[in-house]
Amino acid sequence: MAMDAERRQAELIAQFSAQAAALSSAPQLAALVLEATSHPALFAFSELLTLPALSKLAGTQYASSLDLLRLFAYGTLKDYKSNSGSLPALLPDQVRKLKQLSVLTLAESTKILPYDQLMQELDVSNVRELEDFLINECMYSGIVRGKLDQLRRCFEVQFAAGRDLTPDQLTNMIETLSDWLGTSDSLLHQIQEKIKWADTMSEVNKKHQKEFEDRVEEAKKSIKLNNLSRQTSTYGGMTTFSLNLEE
Amino acid sequence: MSAPSDAAAAVDTPAPTTAAAASSGGFTFKLHPLVIVNVSDHHTRVKAQAACSGDSSSSSSGAGAGQPPRVFGCVIGVQRGRTVEIFNSFELVLDPVSGTLDRAFLEKKQELYKKVFPDFYVLGWYSTGSDVHDTDMQIHKALMDVNESPVYLLLNPTINLSQKDLPLTIYESELHVIDGSPQLIFVRSNYTIETVEAERISVDHVAHLKPSDGGSAATQLAAHLTGIHSAIKMLNSRVRVIHQYLVAMQKGDIPVDNSLLRQVSSLVRRLPAMESQKFQDDFLMEYNDTLLMTYLAMFTNCSSTMNELVEKINTSYERPTARRGGRGAFM
Repeated sequence: MAMDAERRQAELIAQFSAQAAALSSAPQLAALVLEATSHPALFAFSELLTLPALSKLAGTQYASSLDLLRLFAYGTLKDYKSNSGSLPALLPDQVRKLKQLSVLTLAESTKILPYDQLMQELDVSNVRELEDFLINECMYSGIVRGKLDQLRRCFEVQFAAGRDLTPDQLTNMIETLSDWLGTSDSLLHQIQEKIKWADTMSEVNKKHQKEFEDRVEEAKKSIKLNNLSRQTSTYGGMTTFSLNLEE
Repeated sequence: MSAPSDAAAAVDTPAPTTAAAASSGGFTFKLHPLVIVNVSDHHTRVKAQAACSGDSSSSSSGAGAGQPPRVFGCVIGVQRGRTVEIFNSFELVLDPVSGTLDRAFLEKKQELYKKVFPDFYVLGWYSTGSDVHDTDMQIHKALMDVNESPVYLLLNPTINLSQKDLPLTIYESELHVIDGSPQLIFVRSNYTIETVEAERISVDHVAHLKPSDGGSAATQLAAHLTGIHSAIKMLNSRVRVIHQYLVAMQKGDIPVDNSLLRQVSSLVRRLPAMESQKFQDDFLMEYNDTLLMTYLAMFTNCSSTMNELVEKINTSYERPTARRGGRGAFM
């Protein structure tokens, strides 16, 4: 399920990388960047960023295209707004894509996103528009999966596709994974202890049961002997007495 | 792939019919658990009845003195292209004198099944035994007019504890040239098990019966915990692999694969699986409910034990005077 979004992108990425390798002039590369950032199904840009061809753009008048690509790879709509002076104007397709990427970034930090925060980040004014955006753009395209809770005005994210990673994020991920491993190891240990406890308790219970039964048997035997010895001496009431104890 | 019946007629002696060769026909067989249960049930019933009546059952062909009688039946299912899916089976009676199956009964059963399952065709037949018998080929050929290439399902009823696979083999018939003349022989085929949801539930249920028939609640708890333990262990090992991969990637041993990194990052984002306040509230409520019920059950248990004890004391210390309308000892 996570892999579907990635698989779809893999083809597009391969296609764009091939195109970029073929082109050599700066304006063509800039046009390619524009096309890549407006493509409705492409959310991964780090492959394109690392292509040597694109680094040629830096320093030329098309350097802003490179910055734009970097923004799409790592940044959100807020970053765009604060730097809008140095970046080229965005087409509506690109704006939409940037909004989708912003949602992904938000989903990285918390699992429950309040509507107010989303509305602020995505620059929409009413809940209806926000929900439409989330449903149509994010969930139907498969990059996000979750539940919309209108009563408590929040969006619970169950799954979000990954964005491109900056190198320091890699360290964070490794740390998280090792924590996860540590927790599951201790959990396994505890489960094993519980299993041992359950077995010991059932053993104790069985022993207790057996002891009890042994004592009952002993008591029965001693009563019978008593009864036999007494029957020779007295009759009547004692037999009634012992009969009642026979149960 | 199907053998023409005139070639079959040319072979009148029951030649050795088994072959260890794998089938080259390219058919994929899918078997449902219902069929396996049916066949083993048929065999068990006949065996029990034979043992009960004390004489060797008449439906055996080639059964030795100490061997359980062989049972026969038909398997039905659907054939779509190269995939043969066997859904169900029913029993047939083998006439021991002529060695042929009861055709009238087969036709009648076929008709009945057709009404309920219009898609199912007779795909072949089954039998029990440890290996293919010489007479099986005759029966196989007899069925060829119903289905041009029937399958033969053989169930081995001897219980072999060391064997890991199912004691069930599927044979197809192929025309091979042996000693210069084409003959039909059985070749073994592979099969997979397909389950419908209902079958899965019942098989699961039967599989879990074993530990709980010995045991107290504690062994059930241990079995449940062991299941969880192995599941978490598997998850642990897989996460460990990913962790090592990332560390190697960071050190530079492995070239950076962005697409994988993105997938891992989305995986890591899924933790913690549950963190809202609502979950905590619901969880604690359910936990308290369970504790309360256990407490209540314990209470009931205790009070009933107490009641029994008091009754026993009353009865045992009942004085003879009480019979004359006097008061009871304790209550």
